[in-house]
Amino acid sequence: MNMRDFQCLGLIRLGLGMGLAILCAVRAAVAAELITGTDEEAQLPFWEVRTEAMTLRLVQRLPDQTRGFFLARGFTALQADAIANSCLFQTVFHNISTQGQEGVLRYDLRDWHVNFQGDSRSVKTREHWRDAWSGEKVSPAARLALEWALYPTQQSYQAGDYNWGMTTFDMSPGSLFQLDVSWHQQGKRHTFTIDRIECAPDETREPKDSQ
Amino acid sequence: MIRRKKILFWVLLQSLVVVNAAASQTLPVLEPVMEAPEFVLPDDGGKIHRLSDYRGKVVVLNFWATWCPPCRQEMPSMERAWEQLKNEAVVVLAVDVGESAATVFEFTGQYPVTFPLLLDSSGEVVNKFPVIGLPTTFIISPKGLVTHRAVGGRAWDDPELLQMLRAMRR
Repeated sequence: MNMRDFQCLGLIRLGLGMGLAILCAVRAAVAAELITGTDEEAQLPFWEVRTEAMTLRLVQRLPDQTRGFFLARGFTALQADAIANSCLFQTVFHNISTQGQEGVLRYDLRDWHVNFQGDSRSVKTREHWRDAWSGEKVSPAARLALEWALYPTQQSYQAGDYNWGMTTFDMSPGSLFQLDVSWHQQGKRHTFTIDRIECAPDETREPKDSQ
Repeated sequence: MIRRKKILFWVLLQSLVVVNAAASQTLPVLEPVMEAPEFVLPDDGGKIHRLSDYRGKVVVLNFWATWCPPCRQEMPSMERAWEQLKNEAVVVLAVDVGESAATVFEFTGQYPVTFPLLLDSSGEVVNKFPVIGLPTTFIISPKGLVTHRAVGGRAWDDPELLQMLRAMRR
């Protein structure tokens, strides 16, 4: 082995060592972290909770965007307005684990809490909306659209599974609040508090491809 | 010596890539396995499809809607998978939930697909299956058992997924 070979071997060892160190660090990083920014597709602010095994992204939805979506599916202007002004976020839970059964991700929106000015309330789920519209004249097609567009109240995700959907936090447009989220994975319950998450203001912008 | 190191490094790199790819294109087993509920639905052209007509084949049964971003995202890969599998005893059926034939027709202008797009306008069929969010895709064995469920979109033309579907024909 000449000097060049020796140096090269050293570099490879260093590279592999650094790689293993990064992998170990990632494996050890059980704690969740929060990432914020602008969602590339929606061009709206997002809040993302991330661990080594899951991601939960909440992207603002403009009331006008939501109003248009539900008007197009058979709701009256008044009904569409009521949904649109309930502070909706496009929500995506993604199980990025590779751990088989141990990595199964479960959540229940009824365990989440919206904290605002000293008051704590629940997330408005599919069931809340179903009850709210039970006495209203809403076409079956519109009911189905609302049911499937809203984020599932509870769900289990195997490795690689994910869902997109709307969560409603029952706050006025533009409100700042604190959100406690929770989920089960790797045999335990995880919680995370997102401080100063903001409902989209009720303003009109250039149209985007909307859900 | 250097060549051997390069090969070793390449192998390590590839193994990391494979682990990453496997994580994103999974096909989880449905527990417990269930008998596929029978249904009869029209497609967007008016033709009637009965699930039991496909007994003896592997059925990829996808529940979707035109307004659902990940549903739209996975459609082209489903079409590419169908192109590769349609002569190999694998069927793709995509059931639109709660929308009209006109809406689905408009969608196919942007996302042309050649496998059957069935219309579950009343949402009756989707409720027979364990679907909680869209898209959800089930794999039904040639014997009519629902064996796998993928929640959320997939790249259906991924070689590993295609291989798994082919293996399920036995």
